[in-house]
Amino acid sequence: MFYRAAGIRHTDYRQTRQLWPLAADRRLLAAIAALALAAPLLLSPLALNSYLTPLLLWTSAALGLNLLMGGAGQVHLGYGAVMAIGAYGTVHLVRAGLPFELALLAGGLLAALIGTLFGAAALRVKGLYLAVSTLALQYLTDFVIVHVPAISGGSQASLQVPALRLLGQPVTSDAGLYFVALGACALLTVWMLNIRRTSFGRALAAIREKDFAAEILGVSAFRYKLLAFWVSSFVGGVAGALYAFCYYKAVSPEQFHIELSIQLLATVIVGGMGSVLGCYFGAALILLAPPLLNHALAALSRQYGGLIGNDLLTHAPLILYGALIVGFLLFEPLGLAKIYDNLRKSLLVWPFRHARR
Amino acid sequence: MSIDRRQLMAAGAAAALAGTLLPARAQDKVVRFGMAQDFTVVYTFVTAEYSQGQRDYFSLVNERGGVSGWKIATEIVDTGNAPQRGIEAYERFKRNGVVLVDPLSTPVSRALVSRALQDKINLVTTFSGRSDAADGEVFPYVLPLSASYWSQAAILVEYMARQDKDLKGKKIAFVHIDTPFGREPLPLLQALARRRGFELLPFAYAPPGNEQSAVWTQLRRARPDWTLIWGGGVGQTVSVKEALRNGIAADRIASVVWLSESDMKVVGPAQAKGVLKYEGAASGREPKIIQDILREVVAKGKGAGPQDLVGTSYYNIGVMAAATMVEGVRKALEITGGGAVTAEALNQGLRNIKGFTAEGLIPPLSTTPKDHQGGGMGRVAQWDGSRWVPKTDWLASDQDAVWDLIRASSAEFKKTGT
Repeated sequence: MFYRAAGIRHTDYRQTRQLWPLAADRRLLAAIAALALAAPLLLSPLALNSYLTPLLLWTSAALGLNLLMGGAGQVHLGYGAVMAIGAYGTVHLVRAGLPFELALLAGGLLAALIGTLFGAAALRVKGLYLAVSTLALQYLTDFVIVHVPAISGGSQASLQVPALRLLGQPVTSDAGLYFVALGACALLTVWMLNIRRTSFGRALAAIREKDFAAEILGVSAFRYKLLAFWVSSFVGGVAGALYAFCYYKAVSPEQFHIELSIQLLATVIVGGMGSVLGCYFGAALILLAPPLLNHALAALSRQYGGLIGNDLLTHAPLILYGALIVGFLLFEPLGLAKIYDNLRKSLLVWPFRHARR
Repeated sequence: MSIDRRQLMAAGAAAALAGTLLPARAQDKVVRFGMAQDFTVVYTFVTAEYSQGQRDYFSLVNERGGVSGWKIATEIVDTGNAPQRGIEAYERFKRNGVVLVDPLSTPVSRALVSRALQDKINLVTTFSGRSDAADGEVFPYVLPLSASYWSQAAILVEYMARQDKDLKGKKIAFVHIDTPFGREPLPLLQALARRRGFELLPFAYAPPGNEQSAVWTQLRRARPDWTLIWGGGVGQTVSVKEALRNGIAADRIASVVWLSESDMKVVGPAQAKGVLKYEGAASGREPKIIQDILREVVAKGKGAGPQDLVGTSYYNIGVMAAATMVEGVRKALEITGGGAVTAEALNQGLRNIKGFTAEGLIPPLSTTPKDHQGGGMGRVAQWDGSRWVPKTDWLASDQDAVWDLIRASSAEFKKTGT
């Protein structure tokens, strides 16, 4: 009913190749895009600069990791470090006088270079062993940042991020920074949706399923594993730089610690490995649930005159947060995106249950 | 009379609405402070005790009718030591009209510096945050209001010099956690080593510091005359334990401010007898201000936490921070002549504190628009098996060397802009 599929006939290849063949999906997307564009008018500055902007930036980073983990099946436990390399590289280059756009690309390339270097371990090891090799990248990056004052920014280990200038125009307002994040995230999303349909994406999928089988079919595991690391590290570096410029405004090593790597890993897994939409859902849950749960419980406690003691009040959200993650994964091990997919599939034929396969 | 579901819902909604509106129409003479602190991840029990001290002191002030009728209202939020959650809490505070934010976390406060400077909201960083924020001209809205880590190191070295008459040719080992916080005192200690002629032996252990045995066997071979330990949380107790195990005399171990009664219980109160630490606020229940809290807040059942934690080191640091903030409010009202306590007014107040001692709890604190550290004073205290006993009077040491570092670092910050 909502997703009327009857009467849609593709008469040429371009139509068949559309990203969203159903009109209902396109309408939904248009509505979301319109809302996203109008968000600065609709939402309070708090919601915009503390929830929506970081959500988009996290999603961008998760999309990069998702390409590697969901797309090519390579585990990465040091993605936070890749973001750090991009962020520090870009900040230093901008401070050295390079325009932001070029510095962003250079920061991304630097992250790609170092990320690929460590990704080369994937040529020899798989699974948990690869996870540990990428973990080395995390710790080495942390170590280098902390121990080289020229990188970390001196004894306070905090590096101020210059104001963002896009095409020579300073972008300082919350709305401006939000649009930069939105633009980057939208671009990445469309790119990631399309990558799967290219020969590159299919090669990655082949590697993911069985790398030696792919090799037998003529897909070079060497080449595509390294390419997967290259592309995802580039995206990670760019996302890290945008995170610093649009959100943190000061970079320090603890922003890119192992916690970030683990949280991004969780984002991809909870969202649904390999799903682009899942990155959005996962980021929303992992990033926004802790503060929102905290505030909800605090408000509830205030409502009833300090019902919950301060000790429990600060720890209860963590318990709920953990329960939420476990709950969602028990309910649907394939992630939040799969829950949405199931819902959509049943709506596709609703109300004709018998038509469901 | 029967009540249908719709009426019940309406009544419920009305009650909920009334409930949410209630805090908003509280007295208009309210100063809002935002406490976005880490209760759950790294600082945990430090924050719990610190926050308890703060809340008890604010209760004391409010019980007494506030500061010339101005009541202190606090919002407390857990940040889990994560910069992004600190930023979220900060932005929420900003919306709610908070004039002062206290993160008690170096990572979070670092992430908030540019925002606070831009929004002109007071960021108080007691014993945390950027040390170079002592330079008030570069960091007008960032206020450490306590001795920086550099000043603490200088005071500990001064104590060692006093004990040994002269440090020339002595060896001081500096065992620190390998994070920016742990490495921070290094440039100061190097400067002092040149000035006083001692040999500095830095040793770093990997965070979080629950495994340090490699460091301590090396250290034992070096045979230092003094050992400085610089860490936080679990690393501190491990450091003290390892030092004692490697035959270092307890009264030759000196620690940064982050060592508490709870830590000593973990080490073994009797074994740790003699260990020294920097103290920025008197510990114990003797100070008058703590007695007042016990009598006027805790005895009336209005205490914010367990009674036996009243008077611990971190509790008293919380009281110290709260008392300094309230002194700032008092000064602000004095300067504005009783006008509204805006963030700007409070900033004026906090930067013009004169000789404030919190009735003997802390060393005289005097801030100026140029100096946000307030003197860099403190004292050395020794663990006597059950409590911390002061070994010196309040003192400050080598402030010229400290300020060299502050100015060099703040100049670097200024050069790059915010």
